[in-house]
Amino acid sequence: MLLLRCIVGDVRGAGQLLRGLQRTSMSSQDSYSGQVPLPRWTQARVLSHAPGSLGAKLKLRTRLLVTLLFSGGLLGACWYVTLEKEQKLRQRRIEQLREVALGQGSFSLLDHKGQRKSKQDFLGSWVLLYFGFTHCPDICPDELDKLSAVVSALDQDASLPPVQPLFITVDPERDDVLALARYIKDFHPRLIGLTGTPQAVKDAGQDYRVYASAGPKDEDGDYIVDHTILIYLISPDGLFLDYYNRTKSQEQITESVRNHIRSYVSL
Amino acid sequence: MTAPNSTQRKSCWDARDLLWKCLDENDDKISSCQKFQSEFEEKCPGQWVKYFIKRRDFLKYKEKMQTEGFTPAEGPQGAS
Repeated sequence: MLLLRCIVGDVRGAGQLLRGLQRTSMSSQDSYSGQVPLPRWTQARVLSHAPGSLGAKLKLRTRLLVTLLFSGGLLGACWYVTLEKEQKLRQRRIEQLREVALGQGSFSLLDHKGQRKSKQDFLGSWVLLYFGFTHCPDICPDELDKLSAVVSALDQDASLPPVQPLFITVDPERDDVLALARYIKDFHPRLIGLTGTPQAVKDAGQDYRVYASAGPKDEDGDYIVDHTILIYLISPDGLFLDYYNRTKSQEQITESVRNHIRSYVSL
Repeated sequence: MTAPNSTQRKSCWDARDLLWKCLDENDDKISSCQKFQSEFEEKCPGQWVKYFIKRRDFLKYKEKMQTEGFTPAEGPQGAS
């Protein structure tokens, strides 16, 4: 948006300059008889050859060159200012997220292979975290597909460190280690599923202020768990940096994570 | 009961999509789409059937809001 306004202003400025230069050159041709004082270089040009096409062409080239250089300069300045502003916005957002201070605690859960995993085990890696449950009708598979696609896209970029995808259940009663193992194999190969006792899972969820509420059980004992649908980005320091909801596309998330990784300054 | 795997999920979603397509073509008359309805109920767990019915209602409502606009309520409705 800022860039657009900058460019519009820039084009206007360049147009005005061009018109200004045209006026100068036209007035200089009128004053060929020498009645209006001119900058010496224009006078010399006008007097050094016959008026007409050659003089006009040179004047046109000069005018165009000056305009282009000026516009180029303006565009460059615009771009720099826009980049600076974007950088400032990103910084401010990170500071706001730090104040919110999500995910400060430590969780201790079991992964889908039955091994104990705590928050410490993931320090040093970038993590994309999603809370869900295996009996989820459509949203969790969709979001996990999106998450897997993001991680795969980031994997393609050799300049970036590998991102760790994580899935923590909000349904510990049904999602034990086996259920998780069965579920996560449909997604990214590096995806780790985490579960544990109801209390441990609840603590992990509360740490990230995840809302989760199991619905009523039907005659099959089946139920849906209503829960926050967010993908969390966690820095190698274990700090919650950003979140992505359902409206964010795979490309948008990939771009955002890439920017975070590139602009990251370790604590 | 174990959660549906990837293949079962897809089979349920396909049945749901066929049902919804039929309902769209038949002005939401379930009587015209009995075949798809029973296929859908067979392929999907009970909870998912209920969930998708509610989801369709919500999507229709959302579409209505977006096309026909929204008239805010007249004021306090009284004790609810």
